[in-house]
Amino acid sequence: MNRVCGSNELSTDSCWQVLSTHAEALKPRHLKELLAEKGRFEALSFRHEGLLLDLSRQRIVPETLKRLMELAEASELPRWIEALFAGEPVNDTEKRPALHTALRLPQNASLQLSGQDLVPDVHANLARMAEMVTQLHLRQWRGYTGEPIDTVVNIGVGGSDLGPVMACRALADFQPEAAQGLNIHFVSSMDGSQLAGLLDRLNPATTLFIVSSKSFTTIDTLANAETARRWLAEASGIADEVLVRRHFVAVTASPEKAAQWGVPQDNQLHFWDWTGGRYSMWSTIGFPIALKIGMDNFREMLAGAHSMDEHFRTAPLGDNLAVLLAMVGVWNINLLDYHAHAILPYDGRLAHLPAYLEQLEMESNGKSVRRDGSLSERRTCPVLWGEVGPNAQHAFYQLLHQGTEAVMSDFVVPVRRYEARSETLQRQHQLALANCLAQARVLALGDAALDAEPASPWQQYSGNQPSTVLLLDELSPRTFGALIALYEHKVFVQAVIWGINPFDQWGVELGKKMATRMLEVLGAAGSDEGMDLPTTGLLAEIRRLRSGEA
Amino acid sequence: MKISVWGDELAAWVVAAQLSAFGNEVQLCAGEVWGRSEAGKSIYPSHKSISAEPGLMELLREGYDSGRLRAVGAEEALSAPVHWLAMAPDQLDQAVELVQRIAQAGVRPCLVVNQSNFGIGASDRLQASLDQVAGQAVVCLPDTLQEGSALDKFSQPDALLVGCEDEAARRWLMSLLRPFSGSVRQLQLMTRREAEFTKFAVTGMLALRLGYINELANLADLLGVDIEVVRQGMATDERIGSHYLAPGCGFGGQHFTQYIEGLAELLSEKRRSSLLETVLAENLRQMELPFRKLWQHYDCDLKGRTVAIWGLAFKPGVASIDSAPALRTIEALLAQGARVRLHDPEALPEVEKRYGAHPQIDYSRDAYEAVEDADAMLLLTEWPEYWSPDFERLAQRMASPVIVDGRNVYDPGLVRELGFAYYGIGRL
Repeated sequence: MNRVCGSNELSTDSCWQVLSTHAEALKPRHLKELLAEKGRFEALSFRHEGLLLDLSRQRIVPETLKRLMELAEASELPRWIEALFAGEPVNDTEKRPALHTALRLPQNASLQLSGQDLVPDVHANLARMAEMVTQLHLRQWRGYTGEPIDTVVNIGVGGSDLGPVMACRALADFQPEAAQGLNIHFVSSMDGSQLAGLLDRLNPATTLFIVSSKSFTTIDTLANAETARRWLAEASGIADEVLVRRHFVAVTASPEKAAQWGVPQDNQLHFWDWTGGRYSMWSTIGFPIALKIGMDNFREMLAGAHSMDEHFRTAPLGDNLAVLLAMVGVWNINLLDYHAHAILPYDGRLAHLPAYLEQLEMESNGKSVRRDGSLSERRTCPVLWGEVGPNAQHAFYQLLHQGTEAVMSDFVVPVRRYEARSETLQRQHQLALANCLAQARVLALGDAALDAEPASPWQQYSGNQPSTVLLLDELSPRTFGALIALYEHKVFVQAVIWGINPFDQWGVELGKKMATRMLEVLGAAGSDEGMDLPTTGLLAEIRRLRSGEA
Repeated sequence: MKISVWGDELAAWVVAAQLSAFGNEVQLCAGEVWGRSEAGKSIYPSHKSISAEPGLMELLREGYDSGRLRAVGAEEALSAPVHWLAMAPDQLDQAVELVQRIAQAGVRPCLVVNQSNFGIGASDRLQASLDQVAGQAVVCLPDTLQEGSALDKFSQPDALLVGCEDEAARRWLMSLLRPFSGSVRQLQLMTRREAEFTKFAVTGMLALRLGYINELANLADLLGVDIEVVRQGMATDERIGSHYLAPGCGFGGQHFTQYIEGLAELLSEKRRSSLLETVLAENLRQMELPFRKLWQHYDCDLKGRTVAIWGLAFKPGVASIDSAPALRTIEALLAQGARVRLHDPEALPEVEKRYGAHPQIDYSRDAYEAVEDADAMLLLTEWPEYWSPDFERLAQRMASPVIVDGRNVYDPGLVRELGFAYYGIGRL
């Protein structure tokens, strides 16, 4: 993999070497020293589409970015970006493209894949989704009694759940009046605990289920859908065919499987195998989002993401937000040895952003085998977690400030909020904003943020914890779309640097297979053959408890 | 007496016609009065549902012919000693502005009769612009007219509620109403706020009764009880009586609905009470009941079906379709891809104006033409001409003999004997 790179004709190895030397030189310099440098904010903050990416609290100097861009060049990032957008099979282990960017192309664009233009098909499905949204918003989607549907339950897991949940919460302020009569719920857990509680409260005559599954074989989702179907049948006494026609919509890339389950063509919304599950909220998987915020806002969200796509595709690497965010991550992980990454939104509407990014980053880049089958010599995706910042301050910030683990953090916060609302709410946002800036400052400076020396050893803050601040002009469908697209592309850039495929997830397959086998074993006594001893022990204990033996 | 009438509501036109018929000199400043002179012309109601009011147009014409009724410009109208305000519920701001201009015109004494449904406290707000000490007074005379019999209701009222806090003003008003007060059994004087509140209370009570009987009818449907029998039983109790106890597919009408909405809002805002909000929400559901019966009859699929609707006006005797159950029904049917064939003796043009040429709608001038090839007939307004149709002819013309009777006008047993599938509201 020692390809020749850019104008400097350096191999990636030598780029790493240069970076390593640079890192050794920079490591002794505490952030409090770096932050004192003039012009630092101007040199290390970048703007696009209502977003400001502020890298000035990272342990870098402008030269670091130059060195990192050399590594990106040497890793042929520009060619990879081109390949991603062109629909080349960048998901090589599954031999298909990863075209989430195509889902955001405007109607007048065109993208050929195996001699076929994808754009008309994408927009045809958006149009069909828009029709359904209109019918539901007009309260003209009728249940089995003829009453209008007023409740929608999205059944899906992973990518069919996290994106819509996050977006519905994030953009709830943009709900149009027509959508206000519609309640939207999300059900994901396979044990039925969310569904059971919900069904007690819902009216079967006015509830519509969206069954979202790319393969339409996901056991978690189908188990929940089956329970919902049974609930409707018992409540109504109406023929199954009628119930499914009026109360179920399937969102899937496997139309035949959905049809086998009973959902007629007219009630299906499609997406394609070239859309990864965790990259799918832009497709018809976003149906609940469109129901919540309306089609116009949904299209705004797509437009924001598309604008970020264009920026990612065309901006020079050194000005490219996704590339910068990714390469600074690489710097922290591979050169400064950070393996924990906290996601800290300072806005309750972004409460589900951490969970979303956990999947996006860890399912994409949580890998140790490279595209060429060799074992990665470098560390890849760190452990990601997070929480709404002000709440996390009362939970795990202690560790960030005084723990032994080195952690890098992303602060995400909008500037303007509540402009049409009360002054006290505006002050509350001001409070959150102040806390966000203060925390980023203390993480970087430590005690130096204070005028006085700490009173005791336990009150010492060593600081020097790097963080990125992502400042949104305001949280709108457009900036939100851009923000999520930014992280998607960041993940791709890091995957290119590490030489891994971010679009497969072989690591989750084996567990599913084992569960199927285990289900058979749980059902039948004496079939433990081939099980390991501890599992056999657990099975025996479970059987004993179930049979009611004391 | 010289009287200026302001507004384009039914009450404005009725008052103008009636007062001019009894020798008053009435100046009309109806329609778009602000800044536009209509002097010299004979002006008429701009709402078709008002001009359809029985006898009204004739009486207005007589007024113009006699010269006692005249349309005048705003300036001239402002100089009259008596002003009668019958404006739309959402025109309170204009009314306040108008009364300020009356105050500036400076006529003293001067009487302002507020017959607009602006809500509680509005008449006091109007009074605040005037000089009560100098004899400029506002009285509140709640509008109790009913569309279809408005002239009679005005000329022969059973009772008069008057919100008046000034003895001279009371005498003045009563002298104006003398020709009409012969039949009054009860005259009640109260404060302006009390009069406004009473109007609210009466309307709310009627809505509650309708909501209650509809709720009972729907329950009867599920329990296999005939609501018609229950209703007659209820009416024998003299505390209850038989008024406003007919179940049906919802009440409509612009004023009634607007007024209850106003009261519901007030209750919700001041008391956090959802009592009337519930009545309104349930009424909207009730309007779709005939649709739901049809939906279930055809196994939740109406695509490509043809559905005839008899009766579009919100009640018989009027051409108005304001908040009419027919509108929600039509929209539900269109959304399901059904074809609708519409008939109404008076309101068809109103509906045509609303939907225009529509590929799924046929407008029929003849009731039997409307049911041609229909998969069902929905009766939504109980016009007299629908009560005893030629069922044989209906059955012959319809593709499937299905009747949904949204007003319980037919005898279920008889209609079924004639081979129809019949659905009423709470009927066995």
